[in-house]
Amino acid sequence: MTYAPLLATSAALGLFVLAGGAYGVLYAVSAARLSSSLERVSYACYAVQLLLVLVVCLGSPLDWPWKLFIAASGIAYGFIPPATWRLLETLHHSRAR
Amino acid sequence: MYRSQKLALRYFAAAITLFGVMTAAGLLSALYYVDPSLFYNVFDFQMAKILHIDTLIIWLLMGFIGAVYWFLPKELGREVVGIWIAEVLFYVFCAAVVVVAVVFIVVQYGGSNQFSMWFINQGRKYVEAPRWAAVGIVVVVLAFMFNVTATAWRARKMTGILGVLILDLIPLSVLYLDAFPQLTNMSHDLYWWWWLVHMWVEATWEVLIGCLMAWSLMELMGTSRRIVETWLYIEVMLVLGTGILGLGHHYFWIGTPQYWLSIGGFFSALEPLPLLGMVVHAVYDAGTHHMKTTNRPAFYWVLAEAFGNFIGAGVWGFMMTLPQINLYSHGTQWTVSHGHFAFWGAYGCGVIAIMYLVLQQTRHATAHFDSRSWKWSFGLLNLGLVGMVGGLLVAGITQAIYERAQGGSTLQAFVVASENHWFQSGMYARLLFGIVFALGYIILVYDLLAIGRRAALAAPAQVASA
Repeated sequence: MTYAPLLATSAALGLFVLAGGAYGVLYAVSAARLSSSLERVSYACYAVQLLLVLVVCLGSPLDWPWKLFIAASGIAYGFIPPATWRLLETLHHSRAR
Repeated sequence: MYRSQKLALRYFAAAITLFGVMTAAGLLSALYYVDPSLFYNVFDFQMAKILHIDTLIIWLLMGFIGAVYWFLPKELGREVVGIWIAEVLFYVFCAAVVVVAVVFIVVQYGGSNQFSMWFINQGRKYVEAPRWAAVGIVVVVLAFMFNVTATAWRARKMTGILGVLILDLIPLSVLYLDAFPQLTNMSHDLYWWWWLVHMWVEATWEVLIGCLMAWSLMELMGTSRRIVETWLYIEVMLVLGTGILGLGHHYFWIGTPQYWLSIGGFFSALEPLPLLGMVVHAVYDAGTHHMKTTNRPAFYWVLAEAFGNFIGAGVWGFMMTLPQINLYSHGTQWTVSHGHFAFWGAYGCGVIAIMYLVLQQTRHATAHFDSRSWKWSFGLLNLGLVGMVGGLLVAGITQAIYERAQGGSTLQAFVVASENHWFQSGMYARLLFGIVFALGYIILVYDLLAIGRRAALAAPAQVASA
């Protein structure tokens, strides 16, 4: 690997996780404030994350199993914030009852 | 206040002092990079580095132990069994740290043999402490385990958090035994050494700080025990599920079989996922309390812990964890950047949060526990840290390009990369932001001494007038 794809792949992977984090935070803030506009921004962050999956899959020199793995984890990121939020609400509401 | 809690305050005082030593030694190490001849043959680089990384481990360990001694009697409603042993061992522990540090400073180089291993330096990174001190650490940890388990046994009470903590103390102490083998094959030696370093930091310590954060959240936000315990079980399952075999990312280039490339890369890449859950949880807690709390410093440090852990361990880690990239990045300042961010986010912020939580209670500042200086220290410490990891990242990427990808990892390439202006700019930035961090530390110490004092002084007067 020469330095250009090394840097590009590394940056794409870092941004991939960062976009996932931004999606998680914004999703949680939107759920807490019941803000649909923030929710849309959170989905935009997730879209950026999926775009980065495409960048890694099409433009990086990684072997295909790694690309497949990045794609699968990109999909997993999509479920974590809503699932976590639902779990927390269930826990808190069952306590309130 | 229980005797155990008074001991906890002493542990916190020792921890914050060692935090200062770590910061000073880190600043000195940063200075060597911009002036390599500094203190040449007087106080060499490796000694500053050893002091920096060893005090990092010890201040966090002391913070953890102090936190457990603080929460344990509250959890079980009784004094800790065998507290006198813990009190004696605290002073032995502190004295041992001082003696080891003095020996490191006085004896900086020389041959290695059985004597030097037992009395000067074991020669293995992070566990350089000579063997007599390593035996001492085992004794302290075993006594700590005895205190915790015997107190739970005597109280005839077991909670979910305490159960997880007790189970975690077993690998915590057993893994430290990896500091002892004398293996002459470097691959074998590193193989087992990583069990200690990785499993402590990315497995047992994660569980320990999870338990401490669970207790902290119950006190800080009044979160119910059932919620924090359920969340703790999930987090422990996910962190251990990804963290244990994530060990493999240290096995890429030390002479271990090739399958570690796949195992290490796969499980390391999963490690950010539970951290994302933690971030969502932090926002949930902050949202349900509308960012309102009687202890803002602790609250903000808890938030910093969740976000710092995600960015430092998750984002910075994922940039370089796949073997194809790690081939170029390992052992460069890029790794150092990740290490600084991850340690600070995962543990440093958490220990400081617990200190503020404890001080609010010892100073009876239940209604208003706030100051201007904590905001300054919070801002400067985090700005300094982010600046440092930014500088290190630039320097590390420069090394990955010029030393590894283009230069083929030769000594000449190492020199070329070290003289590159991007590398040097990164190192200057690290030094500058290191000074910012040190300023934040000084203000933190002042604030820890001063915050809530007025309430503490008023409390006895209120009791007297009542």
